Amino acid sequence: MIRLQNIEKVYRTDTIETLALNSVSLDVAKGEFLSIMGPSGCGKSTLLNIMGLLDAPSKGEIRIDDQKTGGMNDKQLAQFRNKKLGFIFQSYHLINDLQVLDNVELPLLYRDTTAKQRRELAAEALEKVGLANRLKHFPTQLSGGQRQRVAIARAIVGRPEIILADEPTGNLDSAMGNEIMEILLNLNRTDGTTIVMVTHDENMAHKTHRLVRLFDGAQVL
Amino acid sequence: MFKHLFKLIWNKKKQNFLLMTEMLVSFLVLFAVFTLMMYYYDNYKKPMGLEYENVWVINYGNAYQSKNTDSLNLYYETLRKTIKSLPHVREISFTSGNTPFSQQTNNGGMTIKGKHIDGINNYTVEDSYKDVLSLTLLEGRWYSKEDAVSKIRPVIIDNNLKEAAFGKQSAVGQLLGNDDDKVKMKVIGVVQAVKKDGNYSNPGPGEYFRTDTGSFRWLNKILVKVDPGSDAAFEGKLYKTMANYMKNSNVEIEHLTNKLRTTNYFALVPMIVLGIVSTFLVINVALGLFGVLWYNINKRKGEIGLRRAIGATGNSVSAQLVSESMILATLALIVGAFFAVQFPLLNVFDLPASIYIEGILLSVLFVYLLVLICSLYPGKQAAAIYPAVALHEE
Repeated sequence: MIRLQNIEKVYRTDTIETLALNSVSLDVAKGEFLSIMGPSGCGKSTLLNIMGLLDAPSKGEIRIDDQKTGGMNDKQLAQFRNKKLGFIFQSYHLINDLQVLDNVELPLLYRDTTAKQRRELAAEALEKVGLANRLKHFPTQLSGGQRQRVAIARAIVGRPEIILADEPTGNLDSAMGNEIMEILLNLNRTDGTTIVMVTHDENMAHKTHRLVRLFDGAQVL
Repeated sequence: MFKHLFKLIWNKKKQNFLLMTEMLVSFLVLFAVFTLMMYYYDNYKKPMGLEYENVWVINYGNAYQSKNTDSLNLYYETLRKTIKSLPHVREISFTSGNTPFSQQTNNGGMTIKGKHIDGINNYTVEDSYKDVLSLTLLEGRWYSKEDAVSKIRPVIIDNNLKEAAFGKQSAVGQLLGNDDDKVKMKVIGVVQAVKKDGNYSNPGPGEYFRTDTGSFRWLNKILVKVDPGSDAAFEGKLYKTMANYMKNSNVEIEHLTNKLRTTNYFALVPMIVLGIVSTFLVINVALGLFGVLWYNINKRKGEIGLRRAIGATGNSVSAQLVSESMILATLALIVGAFFAVQFPLLNVFDLPASIYIEGILLSVLFVYLLVLICSLYPGKQAAAIYPAVALHEE
């Protein structure tokens, strides 16, 4: 489903050159739940951003669903992200000025859908994460776990084949973290969604199909 | 997407309130400026109604007085002949103080068939007045000697008074006066209304009364039509002639061209003042808008990153920010337009409704243009934000 070949990412300033990823090659199969671990600054998030086409590699090739992504322009990348990928972030990235339902609808705004379809799909996604009774709430009225569930609903509302989660349980206590993890595992099991998750939590990582460890920008396991 | 943006703006109404108020105030000031400008432009396009080149005004005060009307008339007729005999003098006309561009007015109102017409300029003129100022006769005739003995007092009106009093029908031969006046005047001619207060003033309405034998007791101005190129030497000669004839009088000679320039200048002062105020306000709004949008981009980097991640292109993020500003402007303009339309509806300053409508349209256009210009650069900056960077910074 995702194929990374010799990915290198170098951050350059006037005086310093930092190698964030060093020749990383990785295959993620369709329906796989992969976790990425490693110490802070080892390049986990950079790798996830490159997989999610949010950042471009300095070298190497990315193929998603057998499609080369290197030559895509801004519009093609945006459409690809919208249709194929769903994102979950540690800090949720919800828009506090919009109600829960409107937050979940967001990805569908960039598709050719009617307002009615958007409402229905968003309500369905929220029901899936157990927040059917919070549609009209604002994110600030929710707990951390509930916010992350809204973020998951937003990630799955467009029915993407791949979900990229950057430390989804990082800001939550263990009980909440487990709840979120259960939702992700369930999505992977029932819908066959491919999930790549960056985590610091060994327990969470061991619940996934495969674990990849990074150290100083290189894959060590 | 529009509904989504509207919801986003509505939910942030407290933050947007100040910005909208600023846009509203600028709209109202711009509305005043543009309405005034359109009013001036509308007047500027209208014909002047007279020719002021080579026309001089002689002001005389404290002149010869006599209880005997015949000797008074003889005194002024002799003066007329003296002035007319001077080289370069083509025609002269004694007239009331409200000569063109003089800042003096003599006006009143009249109620005709229940309709009140206000601000009618009353000019007391001689038979030669029309030739001195080259007035344009539209209907009927100008005064002649026979009018001194007519049974019904004749009057000449301008086309503005004609329209107000008689509409589209011919005015010549009609009786003019207040509904309750027992003695009315007979209209013998209609002339083109004159812009007596300069290029930017609204001409007319006006009525011209013929001088009578007692008029010299209070007339205090002479209009003199001179040859083109009449110089200061001739002006000096004219002054000396006047001063010698009217020994106790204060004589002053002015050129209508100079008086027009001064009158125009004074007419433009309120517009210049309003223009300066509105320029500062517009700069203030522009800086405010620019600052708020710039601040928004930095504050909303996470949102921008998220939108990019879930499918927005750089251009659509930019368009979103510009659209948000335009929606805010639209809301402010709706409120502003509500207040602005009260002016034509309530006929606040007695201006034609079209002037107000043009003022509203120009102000709306200007505010939209201003908001668009101020939003474009911050919007472009937002489009350039790399999603990974924006999400990381949050």
